[in-house]
Amino acid sequence: MRSFLSYLIPLLLLAFDVFASEYHEQLNLKPLPQSSLLASFNFRSNTTLPDFAAHNFRYFPRSLGQILEHVGTRELHLRFSLGRWDAESWGARPWDGTKEGGTGVELWAWLEADTEEEADHKWLTLTNALSGLFCASLNFIDETRTTRPVMSFLPEGDHGAALDRMHLLHGVLPHEIVCTENLTPFLKLLPCKGKAGISSLLDGHKLFDASWQSMAIDIRPICPPGQECVLQIEQTIDMVLDIERSKRPRGNPIPRPLPGHELKCNASKPYHSGDACFPSDFDAGEDWSLDRLFGKSMKGTCLATNTELYPVCINVPHTRDIFATGGATEIKNPDGLSRCYQLSSEEDFSLILPHMSREGDNAKTTADEYVQPGTPLLYAERSFTGHGQEHGGVRSILTNPSPDTEVEFVYMETLPWFMRVYLHTLQARVEGSSGTKDDIIQEIYYRPALDRVRGSQLELRVRIPPASTVFLTYDFEKSILRYTEYPPDANRGFDVAAAIITILPSTSPDAPPALKKASNLRTTSLLLSLPTPDFSMPYNVIIFTSTAIALAFGGLYNILVRRFVGADEGVDATGGLKGKIARLMAKIKGAKGKVD
Amino acid sequence: MPRLLATLATLRGDPRLLKLPPYLSALCIAVGVVWLLLLPLNDFTRRTYISENALLPGQVNTYFGGSDKNVFRAYKHEIEALEGKSNIEINDELENIWRGIGLKVGRQNYTYHSAGHTYAGENAYAILHAPRGDATEAIVLVTAWRNVKDEFNRNGVALGLALARYFKRWSLWSKDIIIVAPPDSRAGIQAWVDAYHDTHDSFHVAPLPIKSGLLQGAVAIDFPFREGGFDGVHIVYDGVNGQLPNLDLINTVSYIANGQMGLHSFIQERIEHSDKYNDRLRTMLRGMMNQGLGHAVGAHSSFIPYHVDAVTVQPVGNGWHDEMGFGRLIESTFRSLNNLLEHLHQSFFFYLLMHKDQFVSIGTYLPSAMLIAVNFTIMAILMWVKSGVGEDIPKSTEPPTVADSKAVEGNKDAVSETPSTPAVEREIYLPLGIVIGCHFLGALPLFIFNHTSSHLLAPVFLLFALFNTLLPSLISNLVQVTSTRPLSLQQFYILKCFSLLLLGMFLSSLATLNFSLAFLVGLASAPLSFTRPWPANAPVRYIYTALLNLLSPTAIILAGVAAYAHYGAGAGVGDSSNTNTLMSALEHVLREAAFGWDVWGLYIPVVVWCVWWPAWIVGSVVVWGQPSSSSSSSNKVKSA
Repeated sequence: MRSFLSYLIPLLLLAFDVFASEYHEQLNLKPLPQSSLLASFNFRSNTTLPDFAAHNFRYFPRSLGQILEHVGTRELHLRFSLGRWDAESWGARPWDGTKEGGTGVELWAWLEADTEEEADHKWLTLTNALSGLFCASLNFIDETRTTRPVMSFLPEGDHGAALDRMHLLHGVLPHEIVCTENLTPFLKLLPCKGKAGISSLLDGHKLFDASWQSMAIDIRPICPPGQECVLQIEQTIDMVLDIERSKRPRGNPIPRPLPGHELKCNASKPYHSGDACFPSDFDAGEDWSLDRLFGKSMKGTCLATNTELYPVCINVPHTRDIFATGGATEIKNPDGLSRCYQLSSEEDFSLILPHMSREGDNAKTTADEYVQPGTPLLYAERSFTGHGQEHGGVRSILTNPSPDTEVEFVYMETLPWFMRVYLHTLQARVEGSSGTKDDIIQEIYYRPALDRVRGSQLELRVRIPPASTVFLTYDFEKSILRYTEYPPDANRGFDVAAAIITILPSTSPDAPPALKKASNLRTTSLLLSLPTPDFSMPYNVIIFTSTAIALAFGGLYNILVRRFVGADEGVDATGGLKGKIARLMAKIKGAKGKVD
Repeated sequence: MPRLLATLATLRGDPRLLKLPPYLSALCIAVGVVWLLLLPLNDFTRRTYISENALLPGQVNTYFGGSDKNVFRAYKHEIEALEGKSNIEINDELENIWRGIGLKVGRQNYTYHSAGHTYAGENAYAILHAPRGDATEAIVLVTAWRNVKDEFNRNGVALGLALARYFKRWSLWSKDIIIVAPPDSRAGIQAWVDAYHDTHDSFHVAPLPIKSGLLQGAVAIDFPFREGGFDGVHIVYDGVNGQLPNLDLINTVSYIANGQMGLHSFIQERIEHSDKYNDRLRTMLRGMMNQGLGHAVGAHSSFIPYHVDAVTVQPVGNGWHDEMGFGRLIESTFRSLNNLLEHLHQSFFFYLLMHKDQFVSIGTYLPSAMLIAVNFTIMAILMWVKSGVGEDIPKSTEPPTVADSKAVEGNKDAVSETPSTPAVEREIYLPLGIVIGCHFLGALPLFIFNHTSSHLLAPVFLLFALFNTLLPSLISNLVQVTSTRPLSLQQFYILKCFSLLLLGMFLSSLATLNFSLAFLVGLASAPLSFTRPWPANAPVRYIYTALLNLLSPTAIILAGVAAYAHYGAGAGVGDSSNTNTLMSALEHVLREAAFGWDVWGLYIPVVVWCVWWPAWIVGSVVVWGQPSSSSSSSNKVKSA
């Protein structure tokens, strides 16, 4: 992962060097174990602040710019995520986890306001505007879902003195399902709108079939020393594709069993024969190509991007055979673990990674197929304990895999108000290390919930000694909601947003480089089942009363309105021709009357 | 209205009113039993239906087959090679295969002690992460290494592995899939489920290293080796403590088997079901037996107390369907469970199944157990009233025989002249003490039978049964000796009143939790309603005591064991050593009960020893009673 990020460092430096209205894009591919592939798309454009103020948008999306200006947003981060990052197999997260959110939609922003009420008001406007722009239910981030993190988030941009007037607000929608309707507006913000360049690879079918995906938008002002301040928008899409699954053609996505002779079998088994095959799916390695994985090839480049920044890079050992389509130039990185491609702006581009035989003279191993992913700084797992309708508990297991470095981080939980936390039950138990137990939790910030007004917010600064695991547990009580407060599908349960872990940069000089900067991590979200009433009961009551009222009212109305006339007092019920004529005459008279 | 009140007032004083309750009570019992017997009729059952629309059973094409069969054969070879190996070796190999497929694997140790035996082992399980999911929900596939009959679940485990590999290829799962392979179907899976919900005793059961989200359903495969193919599936659904899974789950499996796979489906081991009254009644009674005993009948049973709906599926019959067909049944069931947006809640949790597609819901069957419970309450109220009526009045009002209507009429006038019967002080402390004492005494057998070593269980039980027959007279004598004067008739009334009141209360609340248990206990203790002291009539007393002893908890357990030895376990054992089989069957049953208490957390022993047994003791004491002089004089008058 570090080598993967080493690409981004020159990229970052470049970004600081050239600060006119700029646009960059880059696709980073990184094969992972168990035939997965991490594809990171990064798009970045700048506009100078005076240009922005003058409404002179060039690469900066106008729709977003106007919203930001209207509500006084200085810095904004929006995340759409789906699935979970499998840290055990895939190692450290891309971008150190700073460009991903918890499952669903996550939004945080620094707003300029004089008072908290004003900030709340602006936040409401912002969420509603973004909701429309991104086709997401962001407008459901109401006051009960909004928090003001104290320790967890730090502004990424350069704000100077304006920081004092800024308010950080954060909201999560854990149940929001991210789908194609969110991707389309995301692509619309790009200068090439998914028609050319790396964004032409993005397709809802593949993106949302990925094992993990995260779409991020970061907007921040950057003031490089001695240059004009710019407003930067960075859009990122990270996804982990299952190569075997993505290779299936779009017209036939069903994983039908392969024909028997195409199965990859372990031939060393004694019973191996035509009708018994012990599968060896992951050992044999996969062949894949860019156009087959994404369903289409890349259409040239978007704008005349900076020649110093290569649009496509791939993180594989130099021993891996790769063929690129014509017009592309391969540039190998001297560290031996990656290479980049410079493309021609006209031609379609694709990469082909052939199958590498594990037998014969030139046998290859998995070490030739992919770079072993780095170990993450921290593993985090969270689950509910207990069962029943009244009480429950939360247990987070946080593991520091490093043998010699301690990790300090802020653990933040935003819990809905109907989950009443018993803070006195909060416990941190450490296992596997000689470290004393007293200083695991360094600092606690807790803002208790108010019923139907706001959720509880819990921020803990925790330090984990090397090679040890911390079990963080607390109990809570489930409250009973009002009848109308249940959502549709109430028996499903209520989603509880992911806990956000911000690993603080280490201050010690001998810390590993990954610990030198802040990184993030999120647990999975949880499903909380609350006592749910039998909704069919009131429904039955409603139907019953409605029927009773309808019958009573119908009868009463009938009696009130209808005029009862004796059979012999009625209009002369003469039948036959005479009667017909009389009726006809009456009609004609009526029509005449209308005309007059 | 005033006339009505007046009629009621005269009725209130009417001595015939006091005659009525015993008949009413007997009627309740009779109606309750007849009610139950009517249930299998077409007029009372309903056809099953899928209530949760999201399930869409059998609406998907199944693709498990083709070359997956080659893989299945390979896994079967692997599993066969592991037969007879140690638990750890087996789990090592399972872990290897699961990791090869790309699943996350966890293992968990457990050790249970019960009746001097140790049940220890290691569970292995794997989690298939839903590709686009978020660990919020999960469905479970249980492939125990051995089924409840202790047979090697050869095809089941291999099928579980092949299905795991097949499921991994799909991206449509909205819930994680957990595949659990406990070494047995009784203790291991209970340890796993307990640990999943963090209710395990951490001294005996290790916590789970990895977990997923809320469990939404579980299916257990019980597929030991069998010759040839099969043509039907047997759905086992009874849970621990008589709780049942949501009817939708059973219907889903049954519907998929019948409609999509062309398989028959069966329940309660009635493989040849004619859907006639006879078969329906047998199915229902078998279901009630399983529910009443509350034991685990499959690997799925342990899930149900945690509100996780679960069934075990077994292949039955002879036909052309092979293991892959069974796999497709599981696949289709999992696709249906995967469709669920909410936890299964739409359909019934309380039902009696008569046939795979005929059921009776709680509203229809509950009255039968309730009527039986109500009979005790009626008698308790009668006893309370009787004990409040002064002893002089009953002497004059109570006619020597019931049929003497003239005397009743004459007395009626007398009563209407003195509408308020003289209030009599009730001496409740001694009877109350006896009732409470007997209920606390129930803890003694409960403790003994759950803490005795298994080889001692059978002799201890026989000893206890013997002691049990003597206990009522012992208590009776003890009371006579210790108290200053012998119990009066009024005190016997109060004694019976409290005992029956408690019994009625317990049974009517139990009926809503475990209908069958309440019904069976209620039926067995029905004679307790009609106990009374017969101080002067020794033959009636002895006959009634004999009847009570025949229906005592110990006698019924022995009878049940004999039936079990004859029909169930006796099949394999030689008939020559009849007493031996009986003893071993008794030991087996008692060991099971202790195991259920220690591992599954059964509450049935509490009901037997702390509800039924004390009521029986008090009832026998009442029969054995020798009321003191004043009341005995009244009896003398009666008998004269």
